[in-house]
Amino acid sequence: MMGLSGMEMGALMFALLLVMLALRIHIGIAMLLTGSIGYTVVAGIDPLLNYFKGAAYARYSVYDLSVVPLFLLMGQFATHGGLSKSLFKAGNAMIGHWRGGMAMGAVGACAGFGAICGSSLATAATMGQVALPELKAHGYSERLSAAAIAAGGTLGILIPPSVPLVIYAIITEQNIAKMFLAAFVPGILAAVGYMVVIGIVARVSPKDAPAGTKFSFAQRLKALSETWPVILIFITVIGGIYGGIFTPTEAASIGTLATGLVAWTSGGLKGRGFLECMYGAAGATGMIFLILLGADVMNVFLALTQVHTELANWVIGLGLPPLAVLMCIIVIYLVLGCIMDSLSMILLTIPIFFPMIMGIDLWGMGTEDKAIWFGILALMVVEVGLITPPVGMNVFIISAMAKNVQMKEIFKAILPFLASDIIRITLLVFFPGIALIALRVFS
Amino acid sequence: MADLLNAADDIPTPTGPVGRLLGALCKIFAFCSGITLVAMALMSLASIAGRSLFASAIVGDYELVEIASGIAVSLALPYTQWVRGHVIVDFFTAKVSRKTALTLDAIAAALLAVVAFVFTWRITLGMTELIGGWDASLMLNIPTWWGYVPMVPSFALLGLVALYTCLEDIKGINA
Repeated sequence: MMGLSGMEMGALMFALLLVMLALRIHIGIAMLLTGSIGYTVVAGIDPLLNYFKGAAYARYSVYDLSVVPLFLLMGQFATHGGLSKSLFKAGNAMIGHWRGGMAMGAVGACAGFGAICGSSLATAATMGQVALPELKAHGYSERLSAAAIAAGGTLGILIPPSVPLVIYAIITEQNIAKMFLAAFVPGILAAVGYMVVIGIVARVSPKDAPAGTKFSFAQRLKALSETWPVILIFITVIGGIYGGIFTPTEAASIGTLATGLVAWTSGGLKGRGFLECMYGAAGATGMIFLILLGADVMNVFLALTQVHTELANWVIGLGLPPLAVLMCIIVIYLVLGCIMDSLSMILLTIPIFFPMIMGIDLWGMGTEDKAIWFGILALMVVEVGLITPPVGMNVFIISAMAKNVQMKEIFKAILPFLASDIIRITLLVFFPGIALIALRVFS
Repeated sequence: MADLLNAADDIPTPTGPVGRLLGALCKIFAFCSGITLVAMALMSLASIAGRSLFASAIVGDYELVEIASGIAVSLALPYTQWVRGHVIVDFFTAKVSRKTALTLDAIAAALLAVVAFVFTWRITLGMTELIGGWDASLMLNIPTWWGYVPMVPSFALLGLVALYTCLEDIKGINA
């Protein structure tokens, strides 16, 4: 084995990783084993065993990472707090009378829910429960409603707080506050894009999306005012982080407690509600941090062999047009997104792609701008995987609720939403300002 | 993502006493994980309040968060395996027979168990080495090995649960 160069070694280990993943080995464990085997071959087993002594503690007791379990608990409280209902009501009161307006309102409500919940599946599931029956009762076709909410669910992650964005910020040593701020405009753009799609679908096939009744000004005001906890929590958390009043952990703490309080007063924590929040948060926390531990061991191996910098230098040395490199990365993400979850993808690929991106010139962006912009772009691209076959988790979740429509039909109905995603990603590639403008305005 | 894919309802209730005990332990650990998070959040709130109202934050709030985070995260690990929430890629094996899938899942669970037990061993060793030393947190002088204490039972339970799920899968193959 000693005759292998770093690159050959890296390629071999990567192949091993793919085989393990294909054979249903847990992603975190597959990364951990790959890293361990590679490390042992290069440096022997003693330093590896020595590193294991403190690896878990070093990864789990990190101040910045503590926001992840907090945001997960906050998401659980938000799901149990009945906030999705008032958000949907408000969205409906504002634009429900437009053709397709109620489905647009549901997308808007998803965006609102995403502002207190950092998870796409939770957003899709909660909003599906509230909005699907209502949309059906008002004559919306189930395929359009299901597609709209599955797509709207991806806003849960795009709109801060966002767990993958926190992880990206930490592994690339970027400022979490700036990442969140940069995600804001693209997130809104995504919501607007989905609404436009619904508007177009409603014009093309009016039977899918009727117009609702118009609400009076007073009714609208009342419906909007009922969403105040969401607005308050969002402003406190994001404003607090960005204004430098709180650290992200402190902001997440306040957000969690406030959302918990809302859930408690609404009766959502009664009975098994509180227990379910605890279990749900623990289940998601364990899932993420096992992958993080695996990624750590993998990265120790990478750092030892320097495969990733070698690979990055090789790609940069090819002298390809920067845009071509970027396109390749995006295509790889889109393909991987069809079979893998977004967090694993980010942890697996960022150590390799990040130095490449930093090494090429894109629109003359500065280092920090480029790092932040690429984080938002990568997040958007990997999120597309949530609504593409064969493993579109958001579609699975919604399909389980919309029993009268086949999953195939939902995937078909989601195509225009995918088109809107692709347009937005293209825009973000060519106009990085979309992500960076909020940073300029608020600095 | 960043979600638990399986709802807890999908998990069949264990029949044997071992299964019931492991399940109960996982739930207790998960509950303690959540409570640690709530306590951590309350501590941060108190620290902010102290800082803004009385110009004195809680001393060592950073290191308390770090220790609490380590506790909350490690306590959560076994529950995730209990509800089979650790992520796999099932794209390439979506069409294989139930038997093949269960065999692969049993192997995956066995590997998880091995990793968990190796970590239990190494963390225990790391902890005992730290016990005699002076390694402690900056402000509150909390010995670093305290942070290791909850990790040992967490990884051990993760290993046991993985072993249990492995055996259940093997039983499923033969059934």
